Amino acid sequence: MQVFLQTFIGGMSLGAIYALVAMGFSLVYRTMGLVNFAHGSVVMIGAYIASTFYLSVKLPFALAMAVAIGVTGLIGIIIERVLRPLENKDFDLMLIGTIGFGIVLEALAIIIWGATGRAVPSPVPAAPIDLGGLRIRTYDLVVLAIAAAATALLVYFLQRTKRGAAMQAVAMDHQAATAVGIHVGRSNAMAFMIGAGLAALAGGLVGPLLYVSPAMGGLLGIKGFAGAILGGFGSIPGAILGGLGIGVIDSFAAGQFQGYSELVTFLIFTVIIMIRPTGIFGERTVNRA
Amino acid sequence: MLGRVRRPLAAGLLALGVLFVAACSPPGEEQTGGGGENTGPIKIAIANAQSGQLSSLGAWELKGAKLAIDEWNAKGGINGRQIEIGVFDSQGDPTVGTNVARKIASEGFVAMLGTAESAVTIAMAPILQQAQIPNITSGQSPGLIAVKSPFLFLNGPTSLTYDETLAKHVVDQKGLKTIALITNNGSYGKGEHDSFTKALATRGVTPVADQVVTTDQKDFSAALTNIRQKNPQLIFVGAEEVQSGLIVKQARDLGIKAPFAGAAPQGTPVFLDTAGAANVEGTIVSTPYLSNEVDDASKTFAAAYKTATGEEAEMHGAKAYDGAQILLTALKNSNAAKGKELADAIRAVKHKGLLGDFAYDDTGVGIFATSIGTITSGKLVPAAG
Amino acid sequence: MRIRLGAIAALAVAAWLLPYQLNSYAMHVVNVMLLYAILSVGLGLCMGIAGQINLAQVAFFGVGAYATAVLTVKEGMGFWTAAVLALLATAAIGLVVGTPALRVQSHYLGIVTLGLALAFTNWVTNSTLAGGAEGIPGIPRPTLPGVDLSSDYLFYYVELALFAVTLVFGLFVVHTSLGRRMRAMRDDSLAAGAVGVEVPALRMTAFLLASVYGGVAGVLYSGLIGYVAPETFSIANMFLLLAMVIIGGRQSLVGCVIGAISLALVREVLIDYPTYAQVAYGTVVVLTVVFAPTGLAGLPVRLRGLLHRRTTATASSGLTPFRPYDPAGTTGEPDAPMLAVRDLSMHFRGVKALTEVSLEVPAGQIRGIVGPNGSGKTTLFNVVSGLYRPTAGRVVLDGRDVTAARPFALAHAGIARTFQNLRLFSALSVRDNVLVALDPTRASGTWRYLVLPVGVWRRDRALRREADALLDRFGLAAFADNLPTALPYGIQRRVEIARAMAARPRLLLLDEPAAGLNGDEVRQLCDIVRSIRDFGVTVVVIEHNMGMVMSLCDHVTVFAHGAIIADGPPAEVAISPEVIEAYLGESMAMPAPVASEVQG
Repeated sequence: MQVFLQTFIGGMSLGAIYALVAMGFSLVYRTMGLVNFAHGSVVMIGAYIASTFYLSVKLPFALAMAVAIGVTGLIGIIIERVLRPLENKDFDLMLIGTIGFGIVLEALAIIIWGATGRAVPSPVPAAPIDLGGLRIRTYDLVVLAIAAAATALLVYFLQRTKRGAAMQAVAMDHQAATAVGIHVGRSNAMAFMIGAGLAALAGGLVGPLLYVSPAMGGLLGIKGFAGAILGGFGSIPGAILGGLGIGVIDSFAAGQFQGYSELVTFLIFTVIIMIRPTGIFGERTVNRA
Repeated sequence: MLGRVRRPLAAGLLALGVLFVAACSPPGEEQTGGGGENTGPIKIAIANAQSGQLSSLGAWELKGAKLAIDEWNAKGGINGRQIEIGVFDSQGDPTVGTNVARKIASEGFVAMLGTAESAVTIAMAPILQQAQIPNITSGQSPGLIAVKSPFLFLNGPTSLTYDETLAKHVVDQKGLKTIALITNNGSYGKGEHDSFTKALATRGVTPVADQVVTTDQKDFSAALTNIRQKNPQLIFVGAEEVQSGLIVKQARDLGIKAPFAGAAPQGTPVFLDTAGAANVEGTIVSTPYLSNEVDDASKTFAAAYKTATGEEAEMHGAKAYDGAQILLTALKNSNAAKGKELADAIRAVKHKGLLGDFAYDDTGVGIFATSIGTITSGKLVPAAG
Repeated sequence: MRIRLGAIAALAVAAWLLPYQLNSYAMHVVNVMLLYAILSVGLGLCMGIAGQINLAQVAFFGVGAYATAVLTVKEGMGFWTAAVLALLATAAIGLVVGTPALRVQSHYLGIVTLGLALAFTNWVTNSTLAGGAEGIPGIPRPTLPGVDLSSDYLFYYVELALFAVTLVFGLFVVHTSLGRRMRAMRDDSLAAGAVGVEVPALRMTAFLLASVYGGVAGVLYSGLIGYVAPETFSIANMFLLLAMVIIGGRQSLVGCVIGAISLALVREVLIDYPTYAQVAYGTVVVLTVVFAPTGLAGLPVRLRGLLHRRTTATASSGLTPFRPYDPAGTTGEPDAPMLAVRDLSMHFRGVKALTEVSLEVPAGQIRGIVGPNGSGKTTLFNVVSGLYRPTAGRVVLDGRDVTAARPFALAHAGIARTFQNLRLFSALSVRDNVLVALDPTRASGTWRYLVLPVGVWRRDRALRREADALLDRFGLAAFADNLPTALPYGIQRRVEIARAMAARPRLLLLDEPAAGLNGDEVRQLCDIVRSIRDFGVTVVVIEHNMGMVMSLCDHVTVFAHGAIIADGPPAEVAISPEVIEAYLGESMAMPAPVASEVQG
């Protein structure tokens, strides 16, 4: 039982990161129908910028994160601007375009920061909490709290503010949104910016948890994306549930199948998608003839 | 009408004719003896990962090897001939490695130093063997010996030696019996896993936990939770520097207090920095190169390394330095020979290096001993006893 | 043609003589390049031609290479025996990886195939059978009687021959029935299903083709390098392969080859700067998708298009009048229902689009279906043509229950349809659009490609003649080679009807065929529909243009809120009080102006 709970806790803390990554994927997808395969690389860039400002410039961790979110937001806008001619036209081409961006961002990170990566010490020095033999890192709790706060903020933004409502409208029907005077381009750019900001948040938080390296984006991106699809692509609550789900599946697979964990995780994922392509909260999309 | 048909036909016939003529003499490079020129610089290839995740290893190796070669060149080279280095990037990928091997073979290099990844070296070995180019590798996997190439030499001990020494220390001397393993499934981790399990088995010890992780895994909470459950006296880590550091760091977070043990990577500064100095206290390391202050030779090397590169010397650089010294000595002894003659000359070299005394056997291994050190106050010091 | 043949001959000679110019290293580089070219062709077939996102191509490559390695080194088989078994293994894996394509598409398929590729590298890294992280060394070079393949120079010829065979086979597939149906499926899978393309089977075929190409490359790889290890089949190499296909031009196999060769060359030049090479090819991928989505292969066409943009604007001038079909004597009893719908209901998450609808259309009738927007007319078509599975009720075609059959099966059974918002295959010529529907080839006949390529070719030429005759009948002969998107709207409408008729249907469903047509075009349309009916085809037409409905239809059914509110001859229905109410007092007897309604 103790092993079970400890494994579960381990899965949850990484799952919170996957959930943040998944949320970025979903937000961009629901607003503009684009799957951003560069998202993982943006997470990595965010992690590097946050760790650089935290370790080298010696800014407080929170401030370093803010800088990272700002810079990646800018990267998000650039990606959106470059790919704008393809919006609502060719889905597959856009997907491949973002893969291209991912390749470039990864190579740029190697050129700027080197290929090997760096370890980031935890910004929360407090010792782990011991709960009857269960060890919970204080930093894990911080991560969960920040992830929850970010989710709440995002939901508030989408449902209670004018800009957010406009994004919701674009997500539902971009033609109708244009008709009622919503600037779709601006809305898309904003979705991309917020998505990239979420990526930086995930990257900055994951640094002290794992390790920052140019290759980190790949697996984080793929697992975050899998989380988004598992929860129902385009759904915010789905992204959170799916991200946490992938984290927990991953953790138990690692405990049970050790070296084969990746194989098991992706096989489970494939089977789930085959059975229920729309995920947990997904809309059943109707083919319009 | 006739013309329209005839012209392509004629062209086709002509083409066929050319093909026929061409087919008569199969293409291929003229097998020039190559031994003719005994003047000009001697070309030595250094192949390693210069890009990719393992590039730090490649960078250290390059610095160590280059230091040795620069020293020889400063002293006038070999028989008055300077030594020329060609640096090749294997990218840590075996396919790229085979490309590099062929490039080295076609560009007239007499020998190759590297690579640090056993898998890449194994991929390159048949090509180098065919081209008769001796190769002194920094890999340590027992798989290298299985290749059975007379042109392949190691610049250090194999994993078997590292782990036999370690097992002797922890089991025979310290009497630890409940030992857990955590290794990765990469070629290094797999080699360590098999070697250490074997060394334990000869002593009748079965690991209480045997956890395998993937090479790109960064979160080990599941594996470490399983290990914690078994409450071992010692945890053996078989992974590269960074991953080992992360494992130790996360183990301490989970409240695991047992000391860690491992081979060469656990003696490096990268391991120490990644894990945090407090977390690695008491780690037992089996390494052929304990520190830069063990004896006069290592002090001299460390000073020269610092002058040349501005960095502190460490084990990988020292290994590469030894390998380069052995190669250059063999070149000198054989009067700048090539091919099989050079390979025999390497096998005959008796070298007192930074890692110890080299004397090669038929398998291409020249050194069979490591020392045990313990990390104490952030420094690797020789273990008592 | 002559120039092209000459160029091919010149290329063949150059390829034959190439080894004489190269040193051993360059020869090796060329050998590896050819492998990438084979892989790219396979990926191009799957992604560019069939539109199936496949990020597992590198895993197919790996399966081929690993299977050869395991069978030769561990099982001690001969190389060629192992090669054949390896190809079979790869094909089997290809079918497994392709299975998700039956359920999901586009980005879902991307992540699933990517995940399976990762699962493959993960498996070989761990498995002792596959040698773990150290891989399997010592794979023997293949031997051929009388030829020493241990030389890279002679191995090149083996690779070259196989490359030529695979490329020619790929081109053959693309330019004949199978490839045409795949391209149709890529452009619009719904419309492809509606004209009888067996979409699920073709998706599997696409993955099968990709995997076999991957397998061929893998077998050659293990023979060439003599060693396999997991890193070679990494995601980074998958993305490189993807870049080759995209930069070269995914919809053209020759483009894929050009992309593979040029990218491999660039990588070779930048071999000491792999990171910068990565920046370069990533950037080129982004620029390609934005500015030249058809890749290098599409550049000549695009440049030509830029030069000739002004001169080709007068495309509509070539339309000739429709030549009516020869009236067929009514087959069977005229009053037997061709289509019967019984108590049909269709609900979408609580929205009731159709509620217990029943209607019968006798053979040989032109049935009009009218009703306000959102009254369930198109939903009815979608259920009848198999796009939706009804919540309740039955659909009977000529006495046969076809409820919830797959669209392609219904097309084979004799239902053809057009779509409210045109659904032509945008990257296929007008002739190919018609050919897809005309083509009776089934997916189960794909084996002919291996056994009887000549037969396939001959059959295709016969079909082509048939298609040209049909286009001529519809007055579209002048546009046979045009892309439909370049044509005026009215002509596109007519192409869609021609395509529907190419499938030789018994029941034709027309969804607002007059939308966007001018008066003259509407009159021509009525003539066409009448001729089709006289030919023996039952026609059901949804239309808002009341004038046309009144004059064309034998019988009219009126829908409102998902139910039938009136049914009878046009004149009767038009004065029915319910209908007048449904249309808010708008009299249907008044010929309405030409409807140009656009429905989202």
